[in-house]
Amino acid sequence: MEPLTPAEPECGRYSALIGDLVDGPIEASAQRELDEHLAVCPACRAVLADLRDIRGVAGRLPDYTPRPEVWSGIARRLETELASRPRPFWTGARVALAMAATLLVAVASSMWLMRGPAPATQGGAATATPAAVIQSTGDLVQDVDEHLRIADEHYVKAIAGLEQVVQSDQAALDPAVAATLQKNLGVIDQAIRESREAIRTQPNNQVVQTSLFEALRQKVALLEDTVALINVMRKGDQAGAAKILGRQSKS
Amino acid sequence: MPMTPSDTTEAGRGDRDLVARCRRGELGAFEDLYKRHGSRLYSVAYRITGSAADAEDLVQDIFLLVYRRLDTYRGEAALGTWMHRLAVNACLDYVRSKQGRRQQATDFIDDLDDVEPVAHASWRPDAALDRLDLERAVAQLPPSYRRAFLLHDVEGLEHHEVGEMLGIAEGTSKSLLHKARMRLRLLLRGREANPAARPAAVVAFQAASDRRGEQ
Repeated sequence: MEPLTPAEPECGRYSALIGDLVDGPIEASAQRELDEHLAVCPACRAVLADLRDIRGVAGRLPDYTPRPEVWSGIARRLETELASRPRPFWTGARVALAMAATLLVAVASSMWLMRGPAPATQGGAATATPAAVIQSTGDLVQDVDEHLRIADEHYVKAIAGLEQVVQSDQAALDPAVAATLQKNLGVIDQAIRESREAIRTQPNNQVVQTSLFEALRQKVALLEDTVALINVMRKGDQAGAAKILGRQSKS
Repeated sequence: MPMTPSDTTEAGRGDRDLVARCRRGELGAFEDLYKRHGSRLYSVAYRITGSAADAEDLVQDIFLLVYRRLDTYRGEAALGTWMHRLAVNACLDYVRSKQGRRQQATDFIDDLDDVEPVAHASWRPDAALDRLDLERAVAQLPPSYRRAFLLHDVEGLEHHEVGEMLGIAEGTSKSLLHKARMRLRLLLRGREANPAARPAAVVAFQAASDRRGEQ
């Protein structure tokens, strides 16, 4: 068995070099000197081998698995933290908006079907009877009306949600900004009222329908911007606020 | 410890996806992030503090910190590396503040290299080093040795990183590491490798080890 402890006083000179060698190549001259010593000193060879083993095993130590309680603790604290944080947008308003958008896409494709060329009704080689075609067109019209009504409802819901956020947090807004906001909302509301009135007298006019939804979309966009503005003002982000205000004055 | 050098790996792509979902507020995505990195960070905390209870508290703090700082993660390092760094710093802060007094007392003992350590002596010549023996021996190291050893040899950091994290010079990190390894050897080999048994050689050998720090 080789002695484990360096026995010669001169071994001390090589301790640092041995340590360096464990971590990688050393200078050629130092390596030569060390090699000469290691050739005659089994104790220093043992030190080198042991340090290499220690480093090798240390680099491959497996991970410990934390108890499941650790994650439940994190989840609990995170939920508490998230609950106390103001949400950027009222989630309900977002869902209503997404539904309104989906319904409008459905309406648009129905309208294309209705108004586009309908070969079955235009001539001799009809495969369906005229009665059946008329029946299905009637269904489509009803379908479109229903979709528009629901889309309108979703817009109204989204607007109500956003208005709630804006009203409860309006204190965060600059009074001048709040006044401009109210003025712009007034203009859009006027457009919405006029569109609704027009729809009552011409229920099947597509242009009137389109302008109602355009007005609703504008109102949603303005309210969304306002909520975003409230959020950046609360954070004291002046640059962000200026950017949103610029967007609002352009629209 | 394997550390992902860049973010182009499969795990890196998965991490990026998880980060995006976490930023959208998906708690499920954050749980996946924990499943991926929790053990790694818990092990860091456990080894640095030497206490399972402290490590559990710390890992909770660390993951909350990760959640709060996720917006500041720009992807310049792999997510695992970013989280690992955050964890190591949190653990070091913890042991510095909570064990401040005790640590000062033991740092004094760090200098007494001729104090005979309580050896396990379980590492027989010509036998492979057992990892559990190594873990036990590491736990017995004086705090400053232990931290340098854990950060460099176990966590795989470079000396300049260790120095930065511990607030010491790179050379001091090298010196502490060498002393730590030599001390571990004594703890593991026992009296057979204990310089106290051969005073003349010890003095020279240990003195040379100590001089490394002054380079």
